[in-house]
Amino acid sequence: MTFFLQQVVNALQWGSFYALIALGYSMVYSVLMLFNFAHGDIFMVGAYMGFFVATGLVTLGAAGVLALPSWLILALTILMAMFLTSLVGMLVERVGYRPLRGAPRASAALTGLMIGIILQTGNLALLGARRQTFPGLIDVTSYKVAGVIVSNKALIIITLSILLTLALHQFVRRTKWGMAMRAMAYDFAVVPLMGVSINTIALLTFGLGSALAAVAGIFFGMAYPVLEPYMGLLVGWKAFVAAILGGRGSVLGAGLAGFLLGFIEIFVAAVFPSTLRDVIAYSIILVILTFRPYGFFGEPYSAQLRL
Amino acid sequence: MDTEARGATAAGPRAAARRWTAATRALFGEVPAFGWLLGALAAVLAEYFVGRPLARALGIGRIPLLFGVDVALRDPWLLPGTVAYMLLVYALPAAAVARLSVTVARGITERLLRLPVGLSVLVHLGLLYAGLHLWAGINDYRLLVTRLALIAIMVTISLNVVNGYMGEFSCSHPGFMALGAYVSSIITVLFFVHDSVLGPPLLPTAVGPFLFPLALIAGGAAAAVGSLAVALPSFRTRGDYLAIISLAFMFIVKSTIENVQLIGGSRGFMNQPDWAGLPTVFVWAVLCVAVTNNFVRSTLGKALNAVRDDETAAAHMTVNTRRTKMVAFVFAAFWAGVAGGLFAHVMRYVNPGTFGVQKLAEVLAMLYFGGLNSVIGSIVGAVGFTLFSEALRPLQIYKWIIIPVLLILVMIYRPTGLIAFREFDITRLVKPREKPGKVEHVAAAD
Amino acid sequence: MSRKPLVAVLALVLLGALVLAGCRPAAEPVIKIGINAELTGDIPKVGEGTKFAAELWLEDINKAGGLEVGGKKYKVVLAIEDNESKAESAAAAQTKLITQDEVLVIVGPQASKQAIPAGEVANNLKTPMISPWSTNPRTTENRPWVFRACFLDPFQGPVIANFVTQEFGFTKAAVLYDIASDYPKGLAEFFKQAWEQLHGPGSVVAFESFTTKDRDFSAQLTKIIASGAEFLFTPQYYDEVPLIVRQARQLGFTKPIVGSDSWGSAELVKLAGRDVVGLFFTTHYAAAGAKGKTKEFIDRYNAKYGYVPDDVGALTWDAMLIVQKAIQDCGQITGDLAKDRQCVRDAMARIKDFEGITGKMTFNEQGDPVKSAVIVRINEQGEFEFYKSVSPTGQ
Repeated sequence: MTFFLQQVVNALQWGSFYALIALGYSMVYSVLMLFNFAHGDIFMVGAYMGFFVATGLVTLGAAGVLALPSWLILALTILMAMFLTSLVGMLVERVGYRPLRGAPRASAALTGLMIGIILQTGNLALLGARRQTFPGLIDVTSYKVAGVIVSNKALIIITLSILLTLALHQFVRRTKWGMAMRAMAYDFAVVPLMGVSINTIALLTFGLGSALAAVAGIFFGMAYPVLEPYMGLLVGWKAFVAAILGGRGSVLGAGLAGFLLGFIEIFVAAVFPSTLRDVIAYSIILVILTFRPYGFFGEPYSAQLRL
Repeated sequence: MDTEARGATAAGPRAAARRWTAATRALFGEVPAFGWLLGALAAVLAEYFVGRPLARALGIGRIPLLFGVDVALRDPWLLPGTVAYMLLVYALPAAAVARLSVTVARGITERLLRLPVGLSVLVHLGLLYAGLHLWAGINDYRLLVTRLALIAIMVTISLNVVNGYMGEFSCSHPGFMALGAYVSSIITVLFFVHDSVLGPPLLPTAVGPFLFPLALIAGGAAAAVGSLAVALPSFRTRGDYLAIISLAFMFIVKSTIENVQLIGGSRGFMNQPDWAGLPTVFVWAVLCVAVTNNFVRSTLGKALNAVRDDETAAAHMTVNTRRTKMVAFVFAAFWAGVAGGLFAHVMRYVNPGTFGVQKLAEVLAMLYFGGLNSVIGSIVGAVGFTLFSEALRPLQIYKWIIIPVLLILVMIYRPTGLIAFREFDITRLVKPREKPGKVEHVAAAD
Repeated sequence: MSRKPLVAVLALVLLGALVLAGCRPAAEPVIKIGINAELTGDIPKVGEGTKFAAELWLEDINKAGGLEVGGKKYKVVLAIEDNESKAESAAAAQTKLITQDEVLVIVGPQASKQAIPAGEVANNLKTPMISPWSTNPRTTENRPWVFRACFLDPFQGPVIANFVTQEFGFTKAAVLYDIASDYPKGLAEFFKQAWEQLHGPGSVVAFESFTTKDRDFSAQLTKIIASGAEFLFTPQYYDEVPLIVRQARQLGFTKPIVGSDSWGSAELVKLAGRDVVGLFFTTHYAAAGAKGKTKEFIDRYNAKYGYVPDDVGALTWDAMLIVQKAIQDCGQITGDLAKDRQCVRDAMARIKDFEGITGKMTFNEQGDPVKSAVIVRINEQGEFEFYKSVSPTGQ
């Protein structure tokens, strides 16, 4: 039982990253019908932004210039990294996606891939190949509850990820901006006629998604404090799976699918020989999709592919 | 360019360019494909005989291997020499022979036309191969790059069937390649090679090269069977689920191979016999292009286009949409598997790590760069991308900034790729050309 | 009218080319050494270490005014190619280095995934090649032209198994490794084999894996803790080790963790902090107790590039020196490439008791070095302290 519960905690933490990254994927996919393959690398950029801000603040603190409590450093790091990364995300939209509006979706997918490669290689060229250590922003304490070990870090990560998913869901449901986004997801052609600028909404979508990716990047850096230029590659592709698995147009679906992917990966490794993890985990996903071909929350939609 | 523009200031550079094009057309418009092939052969022969001394005289030392880009990048001072080499060895002989042989080439083409089309195509292919053989024979590096480019053509074309003609987004091609590579390798190593793991050969090695095609077909068949695992669940409905099902499939294949100890797992599998020489790869690539081209131009191919444009409408026009998509997908997987088998025998070593997301990005780049829904586009894309990524090697890390930027620019200015939606009509290609200005007909698919 | 400019352009270019060709100084004889490295792709850090170590070596040569062979000084040029961490790109780069750049000898590629196909090319085209870092036996197997500078998995696995048995008297082992990566997988398997030979089948109570770029090992570690293993062996790279160790400690695993030569980077301690203090691993050399040439190399590398070199850097450095010795032993550069390559290969195969910074090396008939392993302990200062040396013959 303890073993099982421990794995649940592990899965929740691992799933948090998939969920946060999947949200950004899912939003772009829902609103603009695009696969934003650069998103995994925007996550990497977010982690590095967090790294720079945090290291800067910690250094300032150590030098005695600006001594801030650690929770404030964390909060500032998250906010500034969100802001900076959303700028990068919007830049990507402006440069890589806007010129391709009306082009086949697949072309935009390719630009995404290429922007991802530019971000990776650019990082490599600028910072060199050495790994960066994410500073330990909070003192780690582990609690033992009924034999299950939970660290305060894990708690922060899991709680904030769930809260952010819910917040985004509310944003899309309740606000005017959210309504515009949903409208675009519903019918791309009519929205401009209603006086809503597609470009503004697209920028907003990319900005929001990138900000969430930055949060994921910082959490990732806190939990696994070794950063490298290609860190977003595999996580990004897997989060992409989660995003589509959640269903088009569903924020909650993407979040849940992210956590589900975390659970599948962790529990397959826990129950079966871990050498077979990817085989079994992705076979499960294949089976799920066979029975729920539109994902969990998506609705069947007619072929609206703008090709 | 500059000199030309200055010579025609009165009418502006644009008019000059137009005149320039018209003049070129007047000169070369009548040259049939046969003539161009003769020209290419002449260029390659020129390189074969005078390439080395000429390169030395021009100060570039060695024959520039990939059209001089790598030489000029490594040492910009060699740029003029490289350009001169290109003009003297390639452009001049090719243009001269193509122009001078117009009458002869036309005569031959017309005579060939009286024979069955297949024969005429074969003659053209023979000429093409002769040129390629001489060109690649200059140096082992060219040989390897040529073989890799031909394999890239096969992979790209087969992916075009799914992502272009069918309009879906499939990510499983590296997985199919892996299946083909491993199955064909296991067969050849098991039957024809003394291997430390799989034991002594079961058949005499001498018959191996003759049975090699069977091994490749088996690899393709394995990929085709594997593709059913993707096709069966994903083609019940329309949507982007193929994207993640195929991605999941790719992860599954890679992870499965990593777990099979007998074939080396992640340490890779080697000792494949050296049977994938240039002729073999060339024949298979031609076969793949020909079969795929016929496939996409057949009724089934047209049905595939109909499904892409509007599935509901296609269904009403009595197209069995699900069957159409399945057949196309399995067909594409087969060729990806064959390409994988060839790849394994060119490298004589395979590793599951080769068939991951990096390979996927590469294949997708070739496809969209070349152009959707177009066989000729895929050829251009695959060859162009392969040559580019080889020629830009001197840039080291920056290569992977330059190439993506170039591709993004291509996407922005030609969103469907360089040569998209164009039909590849072989019979038209081998016909003699009309006098320029008479008929200017371009076949377009859509 | 349209032909005039064409002719003009042609003449201009030709003239320019000839003038430029005339201006260039006549080529003096140089020694070209190819470097085939993983500069981009999965493991850019490995490529960077290779490039830096090679450039450091070149600096020495240039300072000395060239490489002296048979009483004559030759200028040395490095031709560096990026193999993008792809097998096909490594083979293409290798072919290019051999046929286009016409290098005398090649150092690299590093990872077995690249080194195996590149070794095939080098062997077929009869060019000596030395891979500093590739541990897969197949890289050099039946390839007289291919050498390596590191020891092999079948040697290192038993060394670790024996050491743990003698030192701690443990009988139950757990292994955590990356299944998608060549080196960890090979070593994990050879270790398992050796351990089960010592303690009977089933004595490896947990044999868990993950996939390259995974960052969360909690599921596997929870299983390992539940398995009752007395220690954990993880032959992972120094950038994954801190994560594994830290997560293991956070999940309550307090037992020893043992590693292999891939731990051997000062970055390990920087990334992991106090978590790794007191842990043991096998390696080629102990950086803390480093004396003489080893220390000199580490200090210079650190001063130039800002970090302490890892095992790739050290092994590449040794490989460069082996290449240098082979060329010098050869005695003369005739200018006939095929002959010179043959000469360098033979000289390399003859090298005996080469004193490298990663140990004393003599090549066996497969082109693999026979060298000792060192077991080091990470001390309180975060330095790698010499603990014990295991020679290959003492097995």
